[in-house]
Amino acid sequence: MKAATTFLAASVLALASSAAWSAELRVTIWTGNEAHLKMLNGFAESFKATHPDVTVKYETIPPADYTQKLTFQLAGGNAPDLGWMMEDAASTFANAGVIDDLAPTLNNAPGYDFADLSAPAMGLWSGGGKVWGVPFSTSPFVIFYNKDMFDKAGLEDPLQLAAKGEWDMAKFQEVAAKLKEANGKFGFEFKDGQGYDSRIMHALMPPIRAYGGDVWANKECGFDKPEAIAAVQQLHDMVFKDKSIVPPGEQGDYFSGGSAMTINQISRASLMAKAGFNWGIAPLPTGPGGESPVIGQAAIVIFTTGKQKELAAEFVAHMTNKENVATMAQFFPPARQSVLASEGFITSNKLIPAEQMKVVADAIAKGKVLPSHEKSPQILAAMKPKIDALWRADANVEESLKAVCTAIQPLL
Amino acid sequence: MAGKPAIRVAARDEGAPWLTLKMREAMEAWLFISPTLAGFLIFFVGPLVAVVWYSLNEWNLLTQQSTYVGLANYADALTVNPDFWHVVRNSVIFAIGLVPMNMALALALAMALSRRFAGVVFFRTVFFAPVVTSAVAWAIVWKFLLQGEAGFVNQMLAGIGIDGPNWLREPDWAMAAVIVTRVIKMVGLNMILYIAALQAIPRDYEAAARLEGASSWQIFRWIVWPLLGPTTLVIMVVTTIGSFKVFDHIYLMTEGGPENGTLVLAFYIYQQAFEFFETGYASALAMIMFVIVMVLTVVQLFLRRRDT
Repeated sequence: MKAATTFLAASVLALASSAAWSAELRVTIWTGNEAHLKMLNGFAESFKATHPDVTVKYETIPPADYTQKLTFQLAGGNAPDLGWMMEDAASTFANAGVIDDLAPTLNNAPGYDFADLSAPAMGLWSGGGKVWGVPFSTSPFVIFYNKDMFDKAGLEDPLQLAAKGEWDMAKFQEVAAKLKEANGKFGFEFKDGQGYDSRIMHALMPPIRAYGGDVWANKECGFDKPEAIAAVQQLHDMVFKDKSIVPPGEQGDYFSGGSAMTINQISRASLMAKAGFNWGIAPLPTGPGGESPVIGQAAIVIFTTGKQKELAAEFVAHMTNKENVATMAQFFPPARQSVLASEGFITSNKLIPAEQMKVVADAIAKGKVLPSHEKSPQILAAMKPKIDALWRADANVEESLKAVCTAIQPLL
Repeated sequence: MAGKPAIRVAARDEGAPWLTLKMREAMEAWLFISPTLAGFLIFFVGPLVAVVWYSLNEWNLLTQQSTYVGLANYADALTVNPDFWHVVRNSVIFAIGLVPMNMALALALAMALSRRFAGVVFFRTVFFAPVVTSAVAWAIVWKFLLQGEAGFVNQMLAGIGIDGPNWLREPDWAMAAVIVTRVIKMVGLNMILYIAALQAIPRDYEAAARLEGASSWQIFRWIVWPLLGPTTLVIMVVTTIGSFKVFDHIYLMTEGGPENGTLVLAFYIYQQAFEFFETGYASALAMIMFVIVMVLTVVQLFLRRRDT
């Protein structure tokens, strides 16, 4: 009888323990890129070394719908265990209390070395001893250029100009116009062709910072400051006078040869393998404000309503340990200083030569993250109609930017 | 008289003698309609009641925090928020632009395609095909065609010496472009309804009128048009309601821009609920839209009844 009881108790314990450790983690992401998914699945496999019964399922949601669909899942009581989060949504979600603190797990994870994560890169994601997310991508904006078009126009490319210290906003305007003339294609396309719509901030931030301004700082709108006005005036001239930037309502996709230059991040380099032309990456042009690289971030977070928070936090620690961050660095520049400083990072991306990867490393070191605000969606919506008015050929840039400030100042 | 008790006894169920035939029939009827009724209550009445309740609360979708605020959301929309009336104005412009154009075109097509001639089925199919085409594909293709200088439409216009506008980037033209592309997409449905109505009109009426010397216009004005009245009313009500509820077209083609020139009520509600997470306020807007559409429908019914 006693043996039978012991056997029964042992069976129950075994079943309970198996139930506790046999789990599936669901992670929402916005990439559907085959190479990215292969790498992420590799992390899921290596997680099995310490969690043999845990599987990880990645759920791709297109970037344009990502934040909304994630919100629906959270509101519907179907929170994923982990999720990627863009920098512009970080403040909104953290302020709403829907993302959970990772600090206890990260601080106790063996060999994690939390101090290795660069403090500026963690700025948006930590505070008061809490960690709301770990940026797996701290990716600076760089210029992608079509080398063939530069050669055809008989121009030095941006990397060569940058090496000579001549790659500034004035030169940028000059070469864009010459490229248009020589190739019959646009000289420049805003990020992903969305500079007039969903990527307004990505279009305006680099030149405004190059001119020494900012879109807002210390709760004060910066669009109506002289630096921002000068920067946007230059873009406006390039769109409507030089006609060297793809104008609103037109297509000029850089990746298929429709434009000679664009701004993007190195995760897009995977698109270049089949581009069919010679290309390169270079730093953003400098301006009166000096060098001012702009960084876009994405972090991995866990949710307060998640049902397996502890396990999810452990996967965050695994995914962002030194080894895995080094692997990710080929697509997503790291926030870990040790990886950033390593020779491995410079040679991590097979498509990008070491010399050009140094541009990325340099920009991360000097760059400033894109602005975030707890009312980002409202600010962008308030800004949009005023920015639409700016992108008319006869628009008064200064008046349009003052109107932007009038619209967003109450929200700041 | 003698047969009545026998019938009553026969009407009782042997297994459940307390049930009369009437009760049993009623029970069967309820059982038959219960799946539909359950669906109606869960998926229609339930959400409708929930929306009314949400509209009385300040409820944030992201934080899931809710506070009862009474009619404050309605007051905010109607008296405080300057965007609301702009959005209503846009919705009215959209409806005024779309409904008459859609109906006139549908009637013209139906008149042309209600008679039998070689190839009529092909033409009907051509005009009906956009109705069953994916809205996403439709919008993407039109966005491409309506590009600025390089767009197909402007290239065609340039061919005849017209300098076309940047259709989707200028507020007035964007509204016109969205209305016209919506009409082209949906006109086939109304065309089919009109064809059915036209084919139901006996040919004798026309023959008799012609014998009396009536012209084609007189036949249309005094015979065909009055007989199409009920169909016209249905089409007008349904198209008006549809135009106030338009969302997909706006979302896919302009996202309410440029300069909020195509920001219509349904898209504005979506924006409040799912971009700003203000679900309570969005619910109040949805209730206001419901009332606007209901009033318009009642007015149309009233005018039609007065005319007849």
